[in-house]
Amino acid sequence: MAYVRKDAATLTATEKRRFVNALLEVKRRGEYDEFVRTHIAYYASDGERGLRTAHMAPSFLPWHRRFLLDLEEALRRVDSSVTLPYWDWTRDRTARSTPWTADLLGGNGRRSDRQVTTGPFAYQEGNWRLRVGVSDREFLTRDLGRRADPIDLPTKSDLEWALKDPAYDAAPWDSTVTKGFRNRLEGWGTGRGSASWRNHNRVHRWIGGVMLTAASVNDPAFWLHHAFVDLQWYRWQRRHGGARYLPATAPGSGDEQHGRVVSRHEKLPPWDVSPGELEDVGETYRYA
Amino acid sequence: MAIGIDGTPKGTQPSAVPGGRTRRDVARGLRTGALTAALAPLLAAFRAPERAPGRASFDRMHRGRRIQGVRTADGHWHVTLDGRPLHLMRRADGTWLSMVDHYCSYPTPLDAARAAADALAPGERLREAGTEPRHQHRGGRHGVRA
Repeated sequence: MAYVRKDAATLTATEKRRFVNALLEVKRRGEYDEFVRTHIAYYASDGERGLRTAHMAPSFLPWHRRFLLDLEEALRRVDSSVTLPYWDWTRDRTARSTPWTADLLGGNGRRSDRQVTTGPFAYQEGNWRLRVGVSDREFLTRDLGRRADPIDLPTKSDLEWALKDPAYDAAPWDSTVTKGFRNRLEGWGTGRGSASWRNHNRVHRWIGGVMLTAASVNDPAFWLHHAFVDLQWYRWQRRHGGARYLPATAPGSGDEQHGRVVSRHEKLPPWDVSPGELEDVGETYRYA
Repeated sequence: MAIGIDGTPKGTQPSAVPGGRTRRDVARGLRTGALTAALAPLLAAFRAPERAPGRASFDRMHRGRRIQGVRTADGHWHVTLDGRPLHLMRRADGTWLSMVDHYCSYPTPLDAARAAADALAPGERLREAGTEPRHQHRGGRHGVRA
């Protein structure tokens, strides 16, 4: 029977505590840092040669769907009642709202060094030391809303702009494509400055600190953010009559994207599963 | 998921060319070079020196941090913040992103380096060279602490 992923704003005190404790245990076992490494390893950029799976590619959504399932399985090995909550950033929009509370992810970083000092992932609690990262800091950092030059989270209408596109993705299947649900949700824009960071990308920017880096998985906010992104794929499918993942077949040998993106029935590294097999996960979980 | 101790996934190495340069990158470099030669006097008159296309290095202070960059012979950029390597990636539109500021991109390597300096907290430093795992897609080091 499918389990339920809930809106973080609706979790009971017990549900929050069990989710947090499962995360801390996965971290203690050393499993968590492998997730950080994996995301770094599979983030390839489209201006360089090679296969892209996690970002700047059609498989952005199935890659993260499978990645979330791996973490969720690790959490459920610790406590089988736990599921990944999602953070609806179109509704909980301030540095003090869900999930930035002391009983869930903890709050903003302090001004002096952006260190998160509240909640279960604060360094002084002794359970969340960063071992894989781009800087020499071992504590979690955040700069919610980017205090020095404030920006807003994406809005409902920003999300709607992505959801209304009837095509899943479009050639050239990378970060430069201006149509298609996938990149409109992933959020690679054109031009410079604030307007070019949309939806998914903009949320990484809004959280700041560790979440803006290649080692963004170090912030547990990563999972709540990506669960909400994953929910959008389900909503998009429902709205567009079960529209499918694209490309359906691999770009041919004369195509610039040949061998660089994963089509519907090809295996999606590092797993032995295809995007097509990840389109419907209704037997595993559903969203409340 | 299978992933090596150094962060390198096992058995999933996509094809890569030495140095990771694409034919398109090379072509872009050649075009940029020709353009620079033709327009050099004009550009010198109207643009700040560090923004001139084709310029092969920069060395400046930005918010108390020393930012240095050198374009290597194979066309890559070696960029450092306060002497420590800042790995850059290239987007298909020719813009640049860094490991510190990884979810948007900037017109030049210098812009990306400045944005990375802005994104670091006061006193926060990049990891020293040689302490980071390898990234799979071209075997390059991405400035990540293992």
